[in-house]
Amino acid sequence: MFEDGTISLMIGFKTAINKLPVPCFINDASRVEQLIFTPECKGNLSVYLHKIEVKQAKKVGILANVATLRSLVQLTSENQLHDIEKTVITINTHDEVVVFENMEEVEAYVQENFPTYTEEDQKLLEHLNSLTRTERWQYWTEQFSACVKCYACRAVCPMCYCSSCTVESNQPQWIKVSSETTGNLEWHTMRAMHLAGRCINCGECGRICPVGIPVHLLTAQMNLDIEKEFGAKTGFSCKSGYALNTFKPGDKEQFIK
Amino acid sequence: MDFEPKIVAFVCNWCTYAGADLAGTSRTKYATNVSIIRFPCTGRIDFMLLMKAFENGADGIIVSGCHPNDCHYTSGNFHARRRWMVFRSLLDFMGFDTDRITFSWVSAAEGTKWANLVDDTTATIREKGPFTEFKKLDYSTFEKISNDAITE
Repeated sequence: MFEDGTISLMIGFKTAINKLPVPCFINDASRVEQLIFTPECKGNLSVYLHKIEVKQAKKVGILANVATLRSLVQLTSENQLHDIEKTVITINTHDEVVVFENMEEVEAYVQENFPTYTEEDQKLLEHLNSLTRTERWQYWTEQFSACVKCYACRAVCPMCYCSSCTVESNQPQWIKVSSETTGNLEWHTMRAMHLAGRCINCGECGRICPVGIPVHLLTAQMNLDIEKEFGAKTGFSCKSGYALNTFKPGDKEQFIK
Repeated sequence: MDFEPKIVAFVCNWCTYAGADLAGTSRTKYATNVSIIRFPCTGRIDFMLLMKAFENGADGIIVSGCHPNDCHYTSGNFHARRRWMVFRSLLDFMGFDTDRITFSWVSAAEGTKWANLVDDTTATIREKGPFTEFKKLDYSTFEKISNDAITE
């Protein structure tokens, strides 16, 4: 594909010195052998499509797992990928290489192989929901007190693509800069709210967190709620848009007096 | 001294603010604990403003606007309603005391409803007491650090 010019930059995985898969960027055919794709390649490479260097390459190939495909669908619905010519490649469950012609095919593939929550996440969600309110508060404040505000959860998220973020705003200062629990709680609330109905549950934020806060559960739970209340699934269709950007006059709620 | 709750009300300009005005001009007596902040529309009420109110010492919050279908801007309150639903479920999942935020629809003609709403909310929050659960978070990190330092 490099020879005939359909791709000028390929984003994929290669093996690092510590034997783990890391993202790699390939711009000539001689290095294609480095590419690997194993079940351990869980990373969501679509986050790189927002980088200016990648956008400049114009013709980008991306090696995608199902979560990445799903985020590509969601990003298309948010009109974020219109300025980039991309070739999406995946390896399906039968170990066959699939090259998608267009986003409709990606959409159909995602709908067919729609990812579910991992068992571990499901167990933790069920456990948290079975706790009383004060126990949940205890759990989350304890988790948040460990947060060091490195914003890795933001950096790794393909949906966090705003060029200026509320955390960097200092007039007014929405989020306290130092790492203390109130500010951490605010940061995680804000992050989850801004991703509500847009998160595609790849779980990267929880995996990347250096102090092991299961931040992905916040958005995961909200996705469940949104699906239940509004019937909207994220990353399911290229045309669905954003659940909080629309409304139905008949939305049901019990708490407004 | 008895605990007097601090309540912040985020209201829309067209319905609830006018409703509160009506309560005032008709000399209805209601709790003085509430500080009203006027917004152009409920659609403008960002959830971060509520978080900031709690951070700045509010014990309870009232969020109120036009009834569905009565929005001055046609659909602001519909969008706001969806956002509140999601915001409330997120807070609930995090174990935040959602009873401290009262959502309501109060129209410009409902001065009495507004007065009752403020009275009820004040009574509920007075019963609950100050929001120490949230306020003590500010110091918990430092306490943890200093405790660790002492034990070492």
